[in-house]
Amino acid sequence: MVKFGVEFVPKEAYWKTVYYAIQSEKRGFDNLWITDHYNNRNVYVTLAATAMYTKKIVFGPGVTNPFLVNPIMTTQSLASLDEMAPGRVVLGMGAGDKTTLASTGIEANKQLSAVVDAITIFKAMLEGKSVTYEGQVFQVKGTKFNFKPRGQIPVYIGAQGPKMLATAGQIGDGVLINASHPRDIDYAVSQIRSGVKEAGKSMSDVDVTAYTSFSVDKKPEKAMQAASPVVAFIVAGSPNVILERHGIEMDKANKIRGALAKGDFGTAFGSVSPKMMEAFCIAGTPDVCNEKISRLLKAGITQFVVGSPVGPNVRKSIDLISEQVIPHFK
Amino acid sequence: MSYKKIVEMIPVEKRGELSDKLLNYLLKAKKENKMPSSLAKCFLSQWQTGDFNDAVGLAILLEATATVEPEKTIEYVEKEMQLPKVAKALKEAA
Repeated sequence: MVKFGVEFVPKEAYWKTVYYAIQSEKRGFDNLWITDHYNNRNVYVTLAATAMYTKKIVFGPGVTNPFLVNPIMTTQSLASLDEMAPGRVVLGMGAGDKTTLASTGIEANKQLSAVVDAITIFKAMLEGKSVTYEGQVFQVKGTKFNFKPRGQIPVYIGAQGPKMLATAGQIGDGVLINASHPRDIDYAVSQIRSGVKEAGKSMSDVDVTAYTSFSVDKKPEKAMQAASPVVAFIVAGSPNVILERHGIEMDKANKIRGALAKGDFGTAFGSVSPKMMEAFCIAGTPDVCNEKISRLLKAGITQFVVGSPVGPNVRKSIDLISEQVIPHFK
Repeated sequence: MSYKKIVEMIPVEKRGELSDKLLNYLLKAKKENKMPSSLAKCFLSQWQTGDFNDAVGLAILLEATATVEPEKTIEYVEKEMQLPKVAKALKEAA
């Protein structure tokens, strides 16, 4: 049965994010993902508070990256959270957002190797033994915790490119695919499958997760209006190959990129076309969203994540999803 | 007057509507740092174990909203809900 997850960006005071986390648990969500960007509230502080006020929802960073947070610290944070909420913690690890990382002075080179190194160190340290590892990006020499971790924690890899997707299939317990359209999910699943096959695993060993931009409301125009700023940023940050996959004109994408670079949000958001909305978000009434989620399920996902903006009124949209979306699939 | 006493002045049939409105104000509040740490914990504990429609929950929510968004809260109670005595009590409590 498909799992439902929800993503929150901890850009507001912790008590607001934790309010939504509690609400999500009460309303039947299985997973909670908190984004990790240095310019928002700290992901682990938010998750620790979540651990204190929830009792069954599974949660984790979605996603952290090994460039800004050293893999040893990530392992320590997750192992500590796993003591607070035993068996409810997962790791979401990706290569990071290059634009955000660049502003910190960090060069995110050898992204695939960095993620593989980080996950190798993560898994080894959770064994509770002394770890020595010589990776291409990260090395550790006799690193060991002074406490015994509870055990292994499921690892989800945030992936978009072919190599990262295949690697996620190989070494991940799950894959977080930043996509909302069946065409992108089809492509991702084919790459994941190749990695799964190479590792001698089965696709049922991997939780294939669509990490979507989502917006639901009883009034479709309100749902679309809430989603268009998020779609503008997705268009601006998408590689041209993905824009071409959806037939999006490069001049229109460049107009949005230019406007965002100048801080001209009115032009940027106003330039989002219906084709862009169709490609990069799931927005509309519950019935419309259900139809689109069904298409992603047919493409092979096993977890559906309701990502930003969730809806024009997050609290009411979570209730609406609980009443009219989740029951449609469970 | 305590917020618990103020809630007792609100007709039971109006509490659900008020709770819904106050949650919107609170969750969209820009001045979120006005929320005292102890009240934030109380707010989350109440939400974890119950809701904000009963007397206990509404008293906590009313205190939180009157602390973070006093003008909006008082104006709504006075003008939209037509409860001037409650509004006056809130002004004195805030």
